[in-house]
Amino acid sequence: MARLLLSREWLRRNMTTVGPMVAAIAIIAGFQVINPFFLSYQGITTLVYAMSYFLIAACGLTFVIMTGSFDFSVPSVLKLAALLCVLYIDKLGFLVIPLALLISVGFGFINGLFVAKFNVPSFMATLGVSVVVEGIALYLSKGFLHMMYDETFRALATTFIAGLPSIFYWAMGIWIISTFIAMCMPFGRHTYAVGGNPIGARLSGINVERHRIYVFMLSSFFAGLAGVLYMAQLGGGSMLIGADMPIPLFASVVAGGTALTGGVGGPHRTLLGVIIITWIQAGMLMLAIGRDTQMVIFGLIALGVAIATIDRRRIKIIK
Amino acid sequence: MKILGRNRLITPVIIQTLKAHPVILALIALVVMFSGLYPERFLTPLNFSTILRQLVTLTLFALGPSIIVVTGSLDLSYVGIWMLGGILVWLLMPILGMFSILVIPLLGLATGLLIGVIQVKGKIPSFILTLSLLVTYWGLTATLSGGYPKPVRGYEFITAPLIPYLPTAFLWSIPIITAAVFIMNRTRIGTYLYAIGSNEEGVQLAGINVDKYKILAFTLSGLFTGIGSIILFPHLGSAAPVELLLDNVVWPLVAIVLGGTPLVGGSGGPQRTILGALTVAVVWRGLLLSLLQPEAIKLLVGLLLIVSIVVGARGLKGVTIT
Amino acid sequence: MVTPMDTPLLEVKGVSKTFDGVVRALDDVSIAARQNEIVGVVGENGAGKSTLMKILVGVYPPDKGELCYRGRKVPFPKNPKEAAKRGISMVYQEKGVIPRLKIYQFLLLGYEDKYVKFSRLQIDKMKKHAREILEELHVKCDAEDFMYELPLSTQKMVEIARAILSVRLERGDANVTPIIILDEPTAPLTVEERRELFSDILDMKKNASFIFVSHIIPEVMEFTDRVHVLRDGKLVAHYDSSKEKITEEDLFRAIVGRESSEYIYKPEVKRVVSEEVVLTVKNLTKNGCYYDTSFDLHKGECIGIFGPAGSGKSEIIKTIAGLISFEGGVLIVRGQKVKADELPHVRLGRGIGYFSGETGKELFLNWPIVKNISIVNIEKILLRKPIPVISFNAEKKMAEKIVKKLRIRAPSINTDCYSLSGGSKQKVSVGKWLERSPDILLLEDPTIGIDVGAREDIYETSLEMKKSGISMILVSDDPKEYSILCDKIMSIKDGRIQKVLSPENLRKVMAA
Repeated sequence: MARLLLSREWLRRNMTTVGPMVAAIAIIAGFQVINPFFLSYQGITTLVYAMSYFLIAACGLTFVIMTGSFDFSVPSVLKLAALLCVLYIDKLGFLVIPLALLISVGFGFINGLFVAKFNVPSFMATLGVSVVVEGIALYLSKGFLHMMYDETFRALATTFIAGLPSIFYWAMGIWIISTFIAMCMPFGRHTYAVGGNPIGARLSGINVERHRIYVFMLSSFFAGLAGVLYMAQLGGGSMLIGADMPIPLFASVVAGGTALTGGVGGPHRTLLGVIIITWIQAGMLMLAIGRDTQMVIFGLIALGVAIATIDRRRIKIIK
Repeated sequence: MKILGRNRLITPVIIQTLKAHPVILALIALVVMFSGLYPERFLTPLNFSTILRQLVTLTLFALGPSIIVVTGSLDLSYVGIWMLGGILVWLLMPILGMFSILVIPLLGLATGLLIGVIQVKGKIPSFILTLSLLVTYWGLTATLSGGYPKPVRGYEFITAPLIPYLPTAFLWSIPIITAAVFIMNRTRIGTYLYAIGSNEEGVQLAGINVDKYKILAFTLSGLFTGIGSIILFPHLGSAAPVELLLDNVVWPLVAIVLGGTPLVGGSGGPQRTILGALTVAVVWRGLLLSLLQPEAIKLLVGLLLIVSIVVGARGLKGVTIT
Repeated sequence: MVTPMDTPLLEVKGVSKTFDGVVRALDDVSIAARQNEIVGVVGENGAGKSTLMKILVGVYPPDKGELCYRGRKVPFPKNPKEAAKRGISMVYQEKGVIPRLKIYQFLLLGYEDKYVKFSRLQIDKMKKHAREILEELHVKCDAEDFMYELPLSTQKMVEIARAILSVRLERGDANVTPIIILDEPTAPLTVEERRELFSDILDMKKNASFIFVSHIIPEVMEFTDRVHVLRDGKLVAHYDSSKEKITEEDLFRAIVGRESSEYIYKPEVKRVVSEEVVLTVKNLTKNGCYYDTSFDLHKGECIGIFGPAGSGKSEIIKTIAGLISFEGGVLIVRGQKVKADELPHVRLGRGIGYFSGETGKELFLNWPIVKNISIVNIEKILLRKPIPVISFNAEKKMAEKIVKKLRIRAPSINTDCYSLSGGSKQKVSVGKWLERSPDILLLEDPTIGIDVGAREDIYETSLEMKKSGISMILVSDDPKEYSILCDKIMSIKDGRIQKVLSPENLRKVMAA
């Protein structure tokens, strides 16, 4: 049995499942050793706050990566949604929420349009859209810090149930829904199909263009939702929201086991990836590692993880 | 393209060139439009020289990566080389004096070699690899500089004005660009790089050591970026930079794609990239002249970026885009 | 006609090769190629043909064996360049061509040192030499064009020219007779192109000897002087066409090891055509491809569109599938007029399924068999009709049913498709359509590149589908396929339907 477990073939095949789990356990254990307060109630609450909004955004992004595309606009859309809430809650009350979500979906639609109809490579299209979104966010917020005083709004994320903040339950709910969609619904199958073999998907009756658009819209919707809840959690924000998000977000999806090549992985994997990444982030903060070094480390992690999960069978030539 | 007689030369050649390089049409259209909108401000020698300055920046950043894009890979390390190179110059100035600027091409060469070897031997996709390298170099730069830009004196002579309204940096960049174009179009390695971009497996089957040439390509890319950075250093303010501006990363890529080098490789190259860079420079300048609010300009620039991406992506018909 | 001399130019004796100590790819195989002859090496997928060729060309060494050149023993080459020095060069089945290179660049790829002066390429000299070689070998093209501008058969010719040139350059001798291995050269070509390619190759016999690797029996019979048959890594037969008369049946038996099924050729199995019309094509036109095409497809009928490359047959079937749009005329499905530029998924909604023999395109190779079958049949496996939730149980049952019916050889329904053999993959594709039971199934090259055994199973399934009322349109390059599957065959030339044939007539026409 032991010999079977350690055989190279078995390892290679199950690397993407076993790897993240081993990593997660190792990291938790490691940090707990360094700082005994890591797994204290205080520590866990901090982690949960760091993880929840992140998980919501990552679930949406997972669907995009499953189709073999990138969505770099997620952090920007999150930022805009958050800022829209804080800027207009006085004038519009709770209507800001559907407004923010609608606008987020709109940008997702634009992303999808560029990629599906105009044949623009997704990293360029979403990069371009994110530039526009940032521009709008800058224009509206004028670069200032804005505070959220509406208590009802803040309660969305900060009401404590069974010892954990409500945003945690939001995140878990979204995660469960995402996993269900991916595994048990035709929409999920179609997503795997489009990522696994777009031509085959077309010939199997899937409207590939339309599906890509849906997927980008889903990603942006979740990004917007994450932004709204994040604002509820923070109670205020500026253009700095989500500034350190892009690389860790991307890393967490890929670390969970959803490969960039598309067609594999899924939201159920992303939970693990998010846990690993946000807990590393928290741990580094605890060890007082500077922001710049953090970026470097994340860059390397993202790199390592992406490499390990790329399905080399599918691409013979790596460019 | 068969040329029948000297007298029949001009028209078919022009049409053929325009068809092959649609970006020229865009360029002409833009120049005409801006000249029409702001004749007093656009058609001045000062404006002309400002556009050339922009062109220099874009081209020197984009030259290295345009070699890599031809092979079908991506190289995002250029800004990193410039940044880290800059801070290294500042550090080595007290020791090596004026020779410290030579550290930048050395860094570029080493970086390119490193990237090439890792990409080829480790079978790692170039996009992620060079992105990580960029972030790593940025982190290193921030650490070494303590977070503040460090001015370096002594290299201003490189960009000291010689001819009125013609930036000297532009003059210096001409031989560099020429070298790149020559290598890609008139040497064996150039042929091989286009071939690798067109069908890497086929080149392997032809008995050519693809790994060797890919490593060479990345090394060249780093080297060109390094040499270009010697000029960029005084050109961009003679100070070791600290901020990783997304702009610096994105616009050279736009120049490459807009110029007509498809991201899948196999055609295009440095000669096309110059055209793309010129177009981008014209667009920027034209927008700035319109005296719009800075936030509005940022928005508009973003929109134009998207438009240019769509236009540039037209050349990717038939390729499955993800 | 150049007749081969008697001492073999190249001889391999007793070659054996085992992979990982388990898979015996070759077991004591000996073949010989004579001067100026075309010798065939045939066998099913996995018989050992490509392993043998790779050994000859230096990709890997044999475990046992001898190599003799002109009667003298020589070591096996360690890499393709050494192989070329020995006089052996290979033209690969695919991926050998570099589309964005110019012809003269491709021809001389790897040998530029002869044209380099102070690191600068002497392009005019290169073009001149390229033109000389192309002319000598009668390859009709302009050295300055790009490779992608050439038709496929000419591209193959340029590849052959390059192979011959590489041997000459490596040996430094323009008079040597190279031995060129052609690995399934006709796989991507159509009937017309194949004919052209073979006549060109026959022309080249005076310049080289060829080892022709294939599994297409009629071609091997027509164009080779001698044939070696490999089965399961062993040499099982050797025929010399100048000395004995062999039939296709003999070759078939040697390759497969059994008799080809009799029942498939029985005409009664086919005549289950009803009066009901399911598809009408009227004056369908697409400029440059096909003109004024009209026919009716009845329920349970199989129509074949037969013709050479560029005749429009492929475009017509792709148009009906929704992969290409048409310009003029009318397409009526189930009584409804169809829009010219609909996408395939809409056509599927109308009941038209499309199956192409190139399984990379259609199957999801990193998915298990069960998911490949269900993706087209999702409505059938929903938990409760309108709610979009999948029932894993129903999915499993569907896959098990199909695997059993089609005798798909796989460890389980959860096996990933990339590990299946070519024939099994094709069966999974056919299986999913069998389950889907569209009104109309379009078949394009359904059995291209797969072995004879799997081919038969697919014919059997297709005929069964036909019997159950599915109408089909077939486009293929295998005349035998038309006679087996079709009730009616339309011949097409230059975009226009010429005449309607019955399967028996087709056999007569082909023999002519």
